[in-house]
Amino acid sequence: MNRFTRFLEEKFMPTAARIGQQRHLQAIRDGIILTMPLTIIGSLFLILAFIPIPGYEGFMKGLFGSNWMDNMLSPVGVTFDLLALFVAFGVAYRLAERYKLDPLSVAAISVAGFFLVTPYKIPFVPEGADKAVEVSGIPLALTGSKGMFVAIIVAIIATEIYRYIVKKNIVFKMPDGVPPAVAKSFASLIPGFAVIVTLWVIRMVLQNTPFGTMHNIVGELLGKPLSHLGGSLAGALIAVIIAQMLWVTGIHGQALVWGIMSPVWLALTDENRLAYTAGEHIPNVVNSQFMDIFYSIGGSGTTLGLALIIFFRAQSKQMKQLGRLALAPGFFNINEPITFGMPMIMNPIMMIPFIGVPIVVVTLSYFAMDLGLVAKTAGVMVPWTTPAPIGGFLATGGKISGAVLQLFSVVLSAALYYPFFRIWDKQKLQEEGGISKKNGGVTKSA
Amino acid sequence: MNILLVCAAGMSTSLLVQKMEESAEEKGITTRIWAVSMDEARANIGDANVVLIGPQVRYKLQQFREMADEKGVPIDVINPVDYGMVNGEKVLEFAINMKNQG
Repeated sequence: MNRFTRFLEEKFMPTAARIGQQRHLQAIRDGIILTMPLTIIGSLFLILAFIPIPGYEGFMKGLFGSNWMDNMLSPVGVTFDLLALFVAFGVAYRLAERYKLDPLSVAAISVAGFFLVTPYKIPFVPEGADKAVEVSGIPLALTGSKGMFVAIIVAIIATEIYRYIVKKNIVFKMPDGVPPAVAKSFASLIPGFAVIVTLWVIRMVLQNTPFGTMHNIVGELLGKPLSHLGGSLAGALIAVIIAQMLWVTGIHGQALVWGIMSPVWLALTDENRLAYTAGEHIPNVVNSQFMDIFYSIGGSGTTLGLALIIFFRAQSKQMKQLGRLALAPGFFNINEPITFGMPMIMNPIMMIPFIGVPIVVVTLSYFAMDLGLVAKTAGVMVPWTTPAPIGGFLATGGKISGAVLQLFSVVLSAALYYPFFRIWDKQKLQEEGGISKKNGGVTKSA
Repeated sequence: MNILLVCAAGMSTSLLVQKMEESAEEKGITTRIWAVSMDEARANIGDANVVLIGPQVRYKLQQFREMADEKGVPIDVINPVDYGMVNGEKVLEFAINMKNQG
């Protein structure tokens, strides 16, 4: 165990921190955060459109007319269907900020660049025809989660080109007396021009390949393999194990791992959302909602069960105090009091369940959904701070089975944590003097 | 005195904000203490006299330090034990010391 903790501290943590510090990965993470409030707002309407009460649909139809569903889903569309646009904007903005470029200019160019590599064609079936013809227009199918990888790549290419040109100092120099704001708007011309020309050339070159567009090539080479990997049970478990091991070193595991995985998981979430709204079979067990709602119950490490047993069963003074501190935030899936206060960090006893319990919970949740015992998440973006079992109920599109699975995981995790907690609590009690079993630790007399 | 706390989402540090405010009130110190997420740090650092970051995001200290140095604001990582036990009093003292030294 000693060798293991040393490996974590000396090898694993520095490497992971270096990866997490990588500026492009960081920009991707910070940029994607921009989409979170939007998709959560959209999800609210998604929930309202499919409230699982018998007769709800008929009632709404009677109240708002037969097109009520379309109306209800339009706020969903402008959030989810434009995900890639926000990503193209957000990632470029954050990266430019890091490079001390004008973030707004770079972000705007990035959005234009994204459209430049996106075909302006949508399939349309005219009345009476049985084959679709292509008409011009912005293809919403590619501006949503499907275009997210392209958006990330374009944002990075655009910002890097922009930075290169600015660094080489190829900018218009304005004579004195020109207002600074005017000078600034011209300053973005040359780098912006270079970005557009580069992406324009890429677009034309790709038109002459079998792929046709950047969306196709990125989807084939990047999107598909990553979704297979990230969407599998093995992918989810690897992410969980790395995140938990990072937490053991005191580093925010999710901030690092989720930063890398969230484009993949968000795309999988959105596939579910599309299937759910179309009334089709929901395809993906693993996605961002699965990872947020069914793994992080009580915080990373599935610690709500542990917070409850600390609160109700602690003997030592220190653990009693921790229980009072940890329970309320735990309901909202915040567990830093436990990770740092127990602590989980470099704790040879508690790190075993801290890494093990999430593996068990994620595996069981996976099979419960894969076998159809529990409904899969429906693409509804629920804030990760939503308490169990409400989170599970909402994320599955209002299915009781989602709530039941969360409660089951809490009980199971409590049982699995319990023996380790007992050992730790006893140890603390001994440290505190060991004689205070009866009167709750009042050993110091005045 | 303005104290900025930074962590991954600004959630767990907000627990500490409350306790630090209570402690400041007892001591009769006027403070403004607030918590933000990592991506909001840059926009907030300029308003602070002291910046404290959660131990779980200490791997980003270097990057935050660059931002803080630009504004001449002292920055450090919160002690993990005080963080875990949400010890507002100790963290407040730590911040006051940093300000006096910086």
